Amino acid sequence: MRATITSYHRRRLAYRIILYIILGIGGFIMIYPFLWMIINSFRSNFNLMTAPLTIFDPEASLENYVMAFGRLKLGRAFLNSVIVSAVITVFVLFTSSISGFLFAKFRFKGKEALFMYVLGTLMAPIYVILIPLFRLVNAMGLLDTLAAIFVPFLIHAFGIFLMRQFIAGIPDSLIDAARIDGASDFGIYVRLILPLTMPALSVLGILIFLWSWDELLWPLVVVHSDASKTIPVWLTVFTQAEAKLPGPSLAASTVVIIPVLIVYFFFQRNFIKGMTMTGLKY
Amino acid sequence: MQTPLARPKRRLFIWAVSVPLVIYIALFFYWPLGYNVMISFAKTNLMTTFQWTGFSNYVSLFQSDLFRGSLWNNIQYLLILVIGGIVTSIIIAELISLCTRVWKRVFTFMFFTPVVTSMVASALIWKLLYFPKTGLFSQVSNFLGFGPQTFLYDPRIALICIIIFDIWKDTGLRVVILLAALDQVPDTLFEAADLDGASEWSKFFRIKLPLIFPQIFFLMVIYSINALRVFTQIFMLTDYPGGGPGTSTYVLNLLMYHQSFRKTTFGIGASTATVIFILLFIFVLMQIRLNMRRSQT
Repeated sequence: MRATITSYHRRRLAYRIILYIILGIGGFIMIYPFLWMIINSFRSNFNLMTAPLTIFDPEASLENYVMAFGRLKLGRAFLNSVIVSAVITVFVLFTSSISGFLFAKFRFKGKEALFMYVLGTLMAPIYVILIPLFRLVNAMGLLDTLAAIFVPFLIHAFGIFLMRQFIAGIPDSLIDAARIDGASDFGIYVRLILPLTMPALSVLGILIFLWSWDELLWPLVVVHSDASKTIPVWLTVFTQAEAKLPGPSLAASTVVIIPVLIVYFFFQRNFIKGMTMTGLKY
Repeated sequence: MQTPLARPKRRLFIWAVSVPLVIYIALFFYWPLGYNVMISFAKTNLMTTFQWTGFSNYVSLFQSDLFRGSLWNNIQYLLILVIGGIVTSIIIAELISLCTRVWKRVFTFMFFTPVVTSMVASALIWKLLYFPKTGLFSQVSNFLGFGPQTFLYDPRIALICIIIFDIWKDTGLRVVILLAALDQVPDTLFEAADLDGASEWSKFFRIKLPLIFPQIFFLMVIYSINALRVFTQIFMLTDYPGGGPGTSTYVLNLLMYHQSFRKTTFGIGASTATVIFILLFIFVLMQIRLNMRRSQT
C-alpha cells in the first residue's frame, strides 16, 4: 500500500517536472529572439553574422546605436512615432468617451441608426479603403506630413462601443444629482464621466497606442521624406537600403521594443485585459 | 432616466457630438468605401487619367496568375495559421492551467511578450534568425542533420516560415483567451467525471474542449480575418519590394499595394481591395457580433 502511494507521488512529481520543462522551453522560445536582439545590438555586423550565438563579445560597443541615431536619424523617426501615436490615442480616447456618453445616457431620435452607422466602420479595415484615403489626404494637401498619418484615425468604432458599455454601467442617479447641482452636459462629461471611466480609458489607451505605434502600411503610403517617417517606415526603408548592416537595425529594434516592454512589465494586467477583450489588431 | 423633452442645453450636447461624428465618419469611411468600388470599374492613375472600363479590371484580375496565386497563398495562410495556431495554443493553455498560481503568471508573462512588441521589429529580428547559412535557425537545422537551409529564400517553404513567425507572435494572446475560458470550467464537473472513472484524455476532450469551444470559435474568426489581411509580416520578412522569392509569398494586400502604389494602376488595385472586402465581410460580421456578446458579459 505504502509503496503504491510513493510510486504514485513519484509519477506525479515526474509529470510536474516534465510539464515545467516543456513550458520553460516554450517560454524561452517566446523571449529568446528579444534577448538575442539586445545582445547582438551591441556587436559589430561582422561578429554578429559570423558568430550569432555568442553571448559575451569582448568587442561589444555602442557603435550601432551611435550610427542609428547619428547618420541614420533614428531620433527623428522615434519622435514622429511618439507624436503620431500620442495624438491618435488622445483623440480616440476623447471621441470614444464623449460619444460613448452620448449613446449611453441620452435619448434622442435616430440614436440606434447613428450607432449602427458608427459600428459600420468596423466592416472594412484600412486596407480596403487605402486608395481613396490616399486620394483624400492628397487633396487636403497633407501628403508627406505627420498630420496625414493621424488625421483619418481619430475615431475608433470599437472604442465608442466599449465606452458606451462602460458608461451605461454608471448609475443615472449620479448624473441626475450633478444636473440638479446645475452642471451642464459638458461639465458632467468633464467632471463626472471622465474620472469615472479612467479604468476603461487606460485599457483602451494602451490598445490604441500599440496599434498606432505599429502601423506600417498607411504611413508607408503617405510619407516619404525623412522628416516625417515613423519608426516602422524607417525600419523598412532602412532594411531595404542597408540590408548588409543588421547591427544598426537591431539597435533600432531594441529602441522600439524596450519602451513597450517596460510599460508592459508594469501594466501587465491592462495589456492582457485590453487585448483579450477584443482579440483585435490595428 | 432623462426626460425625452430635452432642454436647449442638452440638445446642444447631442448636436455638438453627433454632427461631427457623422461628418467625420462619412468623410473618412463611407465616402472612401464607395469611391473604392467606383474606381474599381475604371482605369485611373488618380491624378490625370480616368476612364470607365466596366468589369475589365475584375476580368483581368481573375485571369492573372499573380492574383490567383496571391489568393491561394491567403487561403493557405488562413488554414495553417488558424489550425496550427489554435492547436498549439490549446495545448499550451492546458499545460499552463496545470501550473501553480505563481508559475501561471510567469509563463503567461513570457508567452505574452511577443504579442505586445512591435510587429515590424520582431519581423526584423526573425529575418536575421532565418538568415541563410549563418542565421540561428540554419545553424540549428545544420546541427540537427537537416543541412543548412535558406528558409525565406526557398520558394517552397518561405510562406510556411512566415506563418511560423506569425504563430509565434500571437500565441500568447490565444493562450490567455483560452486560459480564461479553461479557468471558468467548474471543478465539480471533473469530480463527477472522476467518480465515473474517466481518463485524463477523455476529460479533456469530452468536458473541457466542448466547454471552451465558444472561445475557440472566436479565435477562428479573428485569425481568419488576420490571415486575410496579412501585409506587414510579408513585407518585412521578404526582400524589398516584398512577396519574394519570385512571387511565392504574394498575398492580396501586398498585390493591392504593388498595383496601386508601385505601378499606379489604382483601378486594378481598387478591384483587388474590393475582393478583399468581400472575402472579409462575412468574417467581420461574425466578429462584430461575437465582440458585442463578449463585452456584454
